[in-house]
Amino acid sequence: MTCSEVERVLPELLDGGSNGAFPPDFDAHLKCCPTCSDLVSDLKLIASEARQLAASEEPASRVWVRIAAELRAEGLIRDSAIPDSAIHDSTIREPEFAPARPVVVPVPVPASPRWRWRALWLAPVAAAVLVASAYVISHKPAPQVATQQAPAPAVTSPAPVTPATTPALVPAPAPQQMAKNSAKPKGVSGNGNEIGRVAEAAAEPEPSAEDQQFLSVVSTLGPSTRATYESQLRAVNADIQETQAYVDRNPGDADARQHLMDAYQQKALLYQIALDRIQ
Amino acid sequence: MASLQQASIDRTSIQHTNIHHTSIYGTTAVTLVLASCLASAAFAESKAESKKEYRFTVGPNAIISVDTQYGAISAKPGSAGQVIVTATLKSDNVEVDQQQNGNRIELASHLLQGANEQTGRVDYELLIPPDATLNLHSSTGPLSVERLHGDLTLEGTDAVVNVSNVENGHVHVRTMRGPITLSGVRNGHVEIASISGDIHLKAVTGPLVMASSGRGRIFYDGDFGAGGDYKFTTHTGDIEALVPADVSAGFRAHSVLGRVQHDFPLQPRHSRFSEEVGRSFIGTTGQAASEVVLRSFSGRIRLKYR
Repeated sequence: MTCSEVERVLPELLDGGSNGAFPPDFDAHLKCCPTCSDLVSDLKLIASEARQLAASEEPASRVWVRIAAELRAEGLIRDSAIPDSAIHDSTIREPEFAPARPVVVPVPVPASPRWRWRALWLAPVAAAVLVASAYVISHKPAPQVATQQAPAPAVTSPAPVTPATTPALVPAPAPQQMAKNSAKPKGVSGNGNEIGRVAEAAAEPEPSAEDQQFLSVVSTLGPSTRATYESQLRAVNADIQETQAYVDRNPGDADARQHLMDAYQQKALLYQIALDRIQ
Repeated sequence: MASLQQASIDRTSIQHTNIHHTSIYGTTAVTLVLASCLASAAFAESKAESKKEYRFTVGPNAIISVDTQYGAISAKPGSAGQVIVTATLKSDNVEVDQQQNGNRIELASHLLQGANEQTGRVDYELLIPPDATLNLHSSTGPLSVERLHGDLTLEGTDAVVNVSNVENGHVHVRTMRGPITLSGVRNGHVEIASISGDIHLKAVTGPLVMASSGRGRIFYDGDFGAGGDYKFTTHTGDIEALVPADVSAGFRAHSVLGRVQHDFPLQPRHSRFSEEVGRSFIGTTGQAASEVVLRSFSGRIRLKYR
């Protein structure tokens, strides 16, 4: 027996033909041909595994009954007689009460399911594009830079004493004025508790009149700029207030007095940075 | 049974296919429309962006000033006697005013009607003589300078400032909130002031190094050179100094309300300032070649080995 003859009879033998018995020369060939021997053993293994798999995952018969009913209702199948020569699938049991075998109504099926999977990536891309477009559409541009300057506010505060040069538009308040306006917290209740006074002093005070004047000029640079400077101004004023309160309680602390001067210099720096921007 | 199975599978696949077809067609259509809108907008915007180059001939010790409200400025050394400025204008709503008066060059961004932070942005790249004096001003920044040895003045509101490998020149930096980083700055006066920005100093030495920040922190990593004065001051920010084991400096640190500590022993020295454990320390290491003063109102001060 040759290898080609083995391959020809092998499917029949595996399907149970000849009552499972192999021809004598078949075994003789397998003994001397390792290729065919391996092939036979592999096919036997696959066949046995397939039977076990099918048996373990076979659904209950009622499932097929229900499916059949739904398919008939949708017109996808119709009952018709099927000749005995039709292919019989031995791994699936037939419904016991269905004499006629259903026939599938041909329905067009897409030729290439791959295109469906390939196009699924468009979904997250589309979502990202939607988000980006929503941002672009809803994003309001910053207000236009004013080309017309606001009229210079009336100068009412005393002459500046700060070392840095200051334009005449908005003079930086004198240190004494700053101390008066910054170190006097509003609504501070007097109590004897040192910690309480420090805590109250550390609360950010409201901008003084000079500070408001300063902020009104800064507003010409835009509302976001004003907000930035206002927050920094509040922080600096809070530092001045805190330090002033400590110095008031500890007048002999030279280092604390120096820190108070440093805090005023920070405020002067803030004024300078802002006014350098105003054209 | 096989045909039933096949029919059910086909039905399911048909339904799925129909649903997917509908969703994919719709998604694709929306995507294409949106993409075309965004592309046209991007194209329109990119079309308005322009680059301009300016070249100036200067003598020794030129003075160069660049002022822009919105945009980055970077400066690097170029050839002596020539200044090359490349300005990238983001839109037609801004123009560059430039002028030269002898050895002084000034460039400024001129915002036109309708300009905002995006459309009014101009980025500058400078190639200047290494000994030139440089004044840079940008609200948004960043500001970047490297490998120069002229005097530098950098100012920014929120600008991130980076200065590296600068020698022999004075360095002045001011920001409101922008963080400041100096590295490899030697042999010059350094004055840094920020209201709430952090200050990072790495290998910064010179006859005078002053750094102050109200609410920002100050980090120093270096050996304090030999023979310089170093003064670091904060209001609420912490101060931290990392030094090598062979540092030679006299230290004085004091925090009014914060904690003060040093992680290595200091030689005591006579001083008019009193020492308070946990609030201040005074001492020296090595030959005390440099003088280091660390002060904070309520921040924490720490001196430790690298």
